[in-house]
Amino acid sequence: MNPAILITIMSTVVLGTMIVLFSSHWFMIWVGFEMNMLAIIPILMKKYNPRAMEASTKYFLTQATASMLLMLSIIINLLCSGHWTVSTIPNPVASTMITIALTMKLGLSPFHFWVPEVTQGISLSSGMILLTWQKIAPLSILYQISPSVNSNLLLMMAITSMLVGGWGGLNQTQLRKILAYSSITHMGWMAAIMVYNPTLAILNLTIYIMMTLGTFMLFMHSSSTTTLSLSYTWNKFPLMAPLILMLMLSLGGLPPLSGFIPKWMIIQELTKNDMIIMPTLMAITALLNLYFYTRLTYTTALTMFPATNNMKMKWQFKTTKKTTLLAPLIVTSTMLLPLTPMLAALD
Amino acid sequence: MMTYIVSILSIVFVVSFAGFSSKPSPIYGGLVLIVSGGVGCGIVLSFGGSFLGLMVFLIYLGGMLVVFGYTTAMATEQYPEVWLSNKAVLGAFIVGLLSELLAVCYILKDDEAEVVFKFNGMGDWVIYDTGDSGFFSEEAMGIAALYSYGTWLVIVTGWSLLIGVLVIMEVTRGN
Repeated sequence: MNPAILITIMSTVVLGTMIVLFSSHWFMIWVGFEMNMLAIIPILMKKYNPRAMEASTKYFLTQATASMLLMLSIIINLLCSGHWTVSTIPNPVASTMITIALTMKLGLSPFHFWVPEVTQGISLSSGMILLTWQKIAPLSILYQISPSVNSNLLLMMAITSMLVGGWGGLNQTQLRKILAYSSITHMGWMAAIMVYNPTLAILNLTIYIMMTLGTFMLFMHSSSTTTLSLSYTWNKFPLMAPLILMLMLSLGGLPPLSGFIPKWMIIQELTKNDMIIMPTLMAITALLNLYFYTRLTYTTALTMFPATNNMKMKWQFKTTKKTTLLAPLIVTSTMLLPLTPMLAALD
Repeated sequence: MMTYIVSILSIVFVVSFAGFSSKPSPIYGGLVLIVSGGVGCGIVLSFGGSFLGLMVFLIYLGGMLVVFGYTTAMATEQYPEVWLSNKAVLGAFIVGLLSELLAVCYILKDDEAEVVFKFNGMGDWVIYDTGDSGFFSEEAMGIAALYSYGTWLVIVTGWSLLIGVLVIMEVTRGN
């Protein structure tokens, strides 16, 4: 893509999300969502193969439908409350519809079907933007309307997303699909706590974005999109193998790593609100996710995966790919746990 | 006839929407889009919004649809589908018309309907009027507002249109 066009379109993606974040008028929020969606389509279609076209079309159709639902519910809110300000939504019909529209944009179950297919059809760098930056805007709106969101609806979506993300990712060998199901699960965790303590949802989003960015960057560095190509990492980039181990275990939410912070805080907050069965179910379904993360860890860093002999002897060249920000991302995605008491400042 | 002009225009509007939503070939869809655009402009004109209605004619019909018509004429197929040639299109058109008719009968039956809030009788159904507009024409005040304190909206809309063009160029480049 022509560099000038690429810069313009990337900056429009950022501008769209910024408009959603700093607008107080519902119409401008809708405009921000549309600008964001329109500008990310050519980024998804960087490669001109039919798979990428199909993925972009699917993304466009689902996001456009969600935007239409959002507009309808904004107008219903206008009819019932009389103003365009973003605040809690008094009308239950409008509140439910806004929640459904935003969860369609996020990829929460039962609107999760587009996430694996779109993520698989596009390149790794586009998938990175799709799964991290695009989640910021809908979650910020959910944060702003969280006092009036129907908690039954959101909790139902959250638990089904965790189940779908866990079971769906089990049979995958393609890394992009694994990360898509991981995204569905993490969105489920964020939705679950949004009703009770929305600050923790933002915390979860921050840590999830750092971990997912780090993971995508490691995969892009070795250009690996399947488990098999990831298993050659021990020979291609020996330093990457333990880094992938740490990031995968952090994504799975294991204790000495940062991925445990949101899960711990969320379960603590849910139990403070007298919910026992829900956090238990959430913790148990997190095991499904942990299984496929540890499977990736196993094939990458813990065993020599079966490979042809010529893959075991490689010329070790100096890498020319830029690893911008990879080191800080890995450090923040794995070593933030001792700083958890600082989170008391978030209140 | 003038008392019913808005009603007739709205009926033609809805029927032509059903006409292009049933997905005939783009050239026929464009034809029906012209009709619906013109009729919609007529509705806006009937409520006193003369400037905006004529804007619709000028920019939408005279600019965008002309370009659309030329591009579909270049990309047209050998046997385009019209509403009577393909059962699927005809079926979709009839289903659309029937659902509109059913909605109207549902309203007329009880003279009151509640979808999100209560419509009472034909008055509320036809015009939803929240208050009196005073001595100034609302549409002129809206356009004036756009250029006085609505500067940010103009910037955002202009940027979105530019990005729309750039995105479509980028998507259809295809090499």
